[in-house]
Amino acid sequence: MGEPHRLVFGSRGGLLLSSNWIVVLAVTLGYLGISLGVGLWSGRKTSKGPEGYVAGDRALGFLVLYFILGASIFSAFAFLGGPGWAYSRGAAAFYILSYGTIGLVPWYFFGPRVARLGRKFGFVTQAELLSHRYQSKVLSAALAVISLIAFLPYLTLQMQGAGYVFNVVTEGRIPNWAGAAIAYGVVLIYVFRSGVMGVAWTNTLQGMFMMVLAWSLGLYLPWKLYGGVGAMFERLAETVPEMLRAPGLGADGAIWTWGGYSSAIVISVLGFSIWPHYFMKIFTARSERTLKRTVVFYPTFQIFLIPILFIGFAGILSYPGVEPSDAILPTILMSLDLPAVVIGLFCAGALAASMSTGDALVHAAGSILVRDFYRVLFRPDMTASQQTRLIRILVVVISGVAYYFAVMSKISLVALLLLSYGFIAQIFPVLLAALYWPRSTRPGILAGLAAGCVVTTLWNLMPQLQWEEIHPGVWGLGANVVAMVAVSLMTPPMDPDHVGQFVVD
Amino acid sequence: MRPRLLSSKLTPAQRRLYSSVLVFFVLIFLAMIWPVVTLFSHARPLVLGMPFFLFYLAALLVGSFLVLLSLYLWENRTGSSSDPGEDSF
Repeated sequence: MGEPHRLVFGSRGGLLLSSNWIVVLAVTLGYLGISLGVGLWSGRKTSKGPEGYVAGDRALGFLVLYFILGASIFSAFAFLGGPGWAYSRGAAAFYILSYGTIGLVPWYFFGPRVARLGRKFGFVTQAELLSHRYQSKVLSAALAVISLIAFLPYLTLQMQGAGYVFNVVTEGRIPNWAGAAIAYGVVLIYVFRSGVMGVAWTNTLQGMFMMVLAWSLGLYLPWKLYGGVGAMFERLAETVPEMLRAPGLGADGAIWTWGGYSSAIVISVLGFSIWPHYFMKIFTARSERTLKRTVVFYPTFQIFLIPILFIGFAGILSYPGVEPSDAILPTILMSLDLPAVVIGLFCAGALAASMSTGDALVHAAGSILVRDFYRVLFRPDMTASQQTRLIRILVVVISGVAYYFAVMSKISLVALLLLSYGFIAQIFPVLLAALYWPRSTRPGILAGLAAGCVVTTLWNLMPQLQWEEIHPGVWGLGANVVAMVAVSLMTPPMDPDHVGQFVVD
Repeated sequence: MRPRLLSSKLTPAQRRLYSSVLVFFVLIFLAMIWPVVTLFSHARPLVLGMPFFLFYLAALLVGSFLVLLSLYLWENRTGSSSDPGEDSF
């Protein structure tokens, strides 16, 4: 997650495939079959209403919660964009490592309170908590819209990643559209059937698989190409030292700015704990200890990024000039004359990364649209089973829309992606105020959120406002906090008895 | 109606502990961005085979993990919580 990364899927220029593509395909389909089986099996015990379908009856244990959080973050970006960044931009890629270090720590402090409120009031989404605290339907709808704006391009990229991987390892025999359809067909079936439990157990499988693969490739490739990780960095430190120190290189190949590097970390750290599909997993935790233990051990998943970055560094001297840079890992793999089974495992691992993020997004998008938008604005009297049915229908619709953008539409959603990260970070002050500042009021929160989103949009649309490449979301946060505090203090305080149920006292 | 980060139910000793942990994480955050990060952003020396800067970030990661792990274990041992409430689950 973090700063948006453009995955450009273009020609496979010059990739050699010496392995038998049928073996590759068989391994990949084997993985998909296992994912489907696990996904379908996992949903058999939960209750039928939204508490079961969206929050897993609030009964998830440590291992599953650990993997659900770990694997949802490592998207298609981890296997393609991560090495691509290290390859083309060097130490700039380290910002990803940085934000994951403390990104989830806020959960240790506010997570138990959020989970308790969820149990008390029946919340299963982020917007339910915040709109209830501020008694505002507008806030609920606004958060739902922000979430969808952020999810759609993100989901689209996951689908493109899946199609691309299929295409590359079968030497173009399976076109992008078919690859994306096969992988996301599987996702659709298990999310439709099993809801959050399908996401949880498949992510556990996918997460373990990704970890093993990342470490194997990350240590094997530098050894194969340079004789070891130390030898590799020794060579790089001699020839391209600027690639090994922050801020690394920018997208244009020149040294990146400190403003760009640091603000990418700031926005990612603040956004990390608040991404709505992520945040709502707090409600799934079985106990306070489970939730805290997950936060504590989360960095052990983060360590997995280090070998992923090694892969990109391995390509710098041995494979100069690979375009697009995201193709560096497939390029190296295809050139090494590896057994077909290994290529198949890579393909499955990359699909696992894409699917474990895509499934959480599509599940959250459906849940949020029904719970926070449709139900709040139009049908407050919906029964539990009606909600679950509608969420399932929307899971299908949203997958279809994302698929359209992923393989059919020529419209690029990258601009939207840039905007969305800035938007998500605007929710952070709202959550802090909701739990820690009793004097914050509904008009204050709405004004802050509006100011934050408007400023972020303006700074995105008008590059002349840019300064030192500081992320537009940072300026948005400034406007957000000022407007929230000013308007809150100018409006009458909310009912202390109501507020007292939410804030720390 | 004042902003409050830590529960008033905490003892003064607990309050000091949690405040220190929060300050620690703010410092980790600051250590990763400009201007502090410029002090550690070097390719050499290589440590454990990694460029110095990567080692520095890995050390911050491990340090944060150990601090939070210690806090968690301490809470388990003493039965305390950063946010005590009657309706704990």
